[in-house]
Amino acid sequence: MSEPVILPRDGTFPPTAYERMAWLLRVGLFASLALLVGGLAAYLWWNPRATATQAIDSNPILRYLDVEGLARGLASADPTAYLTVGLLVLVATPIVRVAAGFFYFRRGGERSLAAITFVVLVLLLLGLLVVGPLVR
Amino acid sequence: MDLGLLVVLLVLLSVAAGLVGSLVGMGGGVVVIPALVILFGVPIPEAIGTGAITILATSTTTGAAYIRDRLSDLRIGMFLEIATVPGALIGATATVFLARASFSDALLVALGIVLLAILPSSLARRNDEAAHGGTPDARSRALRLSGSYVDRASGQTVTYQASETTPALGVMFGAGLVSGMFGIGGGVFKVLALERYMGLPMKLATATSNFMIGVTACAGAGILFAAGYVNPLIAAPVALGTAAGAYVGSQVLPGLRNRTIRWIFIPVDAALAVETILRGLGLP
Repeated sequence: MSEPVILPRDGTFPPTAYERMAWLLRVGLFASLALLVGGLAAYLWWNPRATATQAIDSNPILRYLDVEGLARGLASADPTAYLTVGLLVLVATPIVRVAAGFFYFRRGGERSLAAITFVVLVLLLLGLLVVGPLVR
Repeated sequence: MDLGLLVVLLVLLSVAAGLVGSLVGMGGGVVVIPALVILFGVPIPEAIGTGAITILATSTTTGAAYIRDRLSDLRIGMFLEIATVPGALIGATATVFLARASFSDALLVALGIVLLAILPSSLARRNDEAAHGGTPDARSRALRLSGSYVDRASGQTVTYQASETTPALGVMFGAGLVSGMFGIGGGVFKVLALERYMGLPMKLATATSNFMIGVTACAGAGILFAAGYVNPLIAAPVALGTAAGAYVGSQVLPGLRNRTIRWIFIPVDAALAVETILRGLGLP
């Protein structure tokens, strides 16, 4: 069992929280960038004659707005499906960061800030999973 | 134009956007959105969706560096997100409906006017180095919204205590609204609230704004993404370039003086104001 975290009196996070939060952001960023670089390179390799106009006029994300469509795209090795996942990882990284904040505040016994962070987390998930699909 | 060339141009444009955005705490959508619309003919809703992705890339890149350097105050940032996130959800939802109703031009003009209104007070304080700390209110004391950091430019330890949280929350809601609606991060308003109302040092305000804009943009991006207003073939090179530019910015910011950041902030704010008004009026 890990030691309980005691927040210092000057009102800062414990030093390990800063390190872990920075680590979370780096992992999310690098995972996203790797998918984006790979997806872009693959798309350009397999579509050497693609034009800017085609890319702008035909938004491939419309095929991947549901889980089944995205899974099909990934299974068929469509680069735009991997680009979509890369962008989703980028969108999800702040959500994970907020979840980590909630964890640290709760662990440190900071009820007010834990409650605030929890509400923010719920709102973010509502936006992504409920409001977005509703307004589509 | 060949797609490969478009990708290269978007990466180069976004490097500049990420650099500027990370230095002034605004993201980078400010540069990217009009450039996508004017130079490359990207539809406005998709440009706004890409703008939100730009902000996420900036915030995630700089966040890792600023958090490690203790330049971002996590407590203050997370506390204020309670106001920015609902604003962003409402703003992004409004954008989806306004884009369908072709009613976004008047709002662009209104945004430009608000941005112009910030300028006089920023200009009046352009040479200030120290923060104008106010009297901490009950909420600020209860949540212990205070801390310290080592200023690399001066070599001194700077201590701060947030004040006037109520007006700051109001401005943050507006910042979230603007961010969700226009995909520009709303960093102008976040820095304004953090520095002007809460009395925080400019450098800390900028770094904390960079930390916050990711969560705000995430709220808006989630909706714009789900509504199909993010084009991966456009957003991917923009995200890559922005991350590179923001990384450079995150290495530069800690060594800058507060007044230097303010001097960068003023012309960026002015340019954004003029740009949004011109766009709203349909002028080139």
